Amino acid sequence: MPETKSFIHARLTAFGDTRELERIRQFVQEKAREFGFSEQGAHTIMLAVDEACSNLICHSYHFDKAREFFIDIRPQGTEALVIEIFDNGAAFDPFSIPPPNLQEYALQHRKGGFGVHIIRTIMDTVEYFPATHTHQMNCLKLVKKLS
Amino acid sequence: MSKFSLEQRNNGTTTVLYLKGFLDAHTAPQLETAIAEAIAEGNYRIVVNFRELEYISSAGLGVFMVFIEDVRAKGGDIKLTAMNQKVYTVFDLLGFPMLFDITEHEEEALAKFLP
Repeated sequence: MPETKSFIHARLTAFGDTRELERIRQFVQEKAREFGFSEQGAHTIMLAVDEACSNLICHSYHFDKAREFFIDIRPQGTEALVIEIFDNGAAFDPFSIPPPNLQEYALQHRKGGFGVHIIRTIMDTVEYFPATHTHQMNCLKLVKKLS
Repeated sequence: MSKFSLEQRNNGTTTVLYLKGFLDAHTAPQLETAIAEAIAEGNYRIVVNFRELEYISSAGLGVFMVFIEDVRAKGGDIKLTAMNQKVYTVFDLLGFPMLFDITEHEEEALAKFLP
């Protein structure tokens, strides 16, 4: 097992602009590596977060560069990394999306709809908490175990 | 700015697109435009070389879904080649090897277009 280096909590503020994806990936990859994930492990976590943020920027924020969202990363003990993405867009339940059917998608010339499947395949736990009166932002919570 | 570039070369009757850098929701429209232009010029035999592509997200994969049925209907294809392991893993995760012809080397992809 690789040696882990703990950190308490890290937050990145990002905006509704696809240019932000590069910065988001760098942030997630750096923190995942710092926590102890291999290069491959950090790459897959980075991909899952990229997919979540791409969906948010394109389909919820509609490329509105003035709207911000937050990516929080924290360790869960020494065994798992927790990534929470907080946004104030319309609530969207990722579990409402069925697994993609490639043959059908090709016939429909459909280029989207893969991100949620990637996230659910890569991460150990995926939970979605829509905004409430007490929690004013939606939260997508992703957990990846180190082993 | 996400670093992505592509270069197009015509190899006989086949168009080869060489991708470089990071293909994500920001840069995928560049690839979509390049493939759309190739098709508009009547090139339905397309090989996409991933040798220098470091990263792909589903936004990049989605581009191929837009065009694959149309080019096959015209007797052509979009063949994918020379992916590194990280890039191939994303294609594999979504089951793309069932729908797309993915080869290890560009020569194999080009040879598949020969009569």
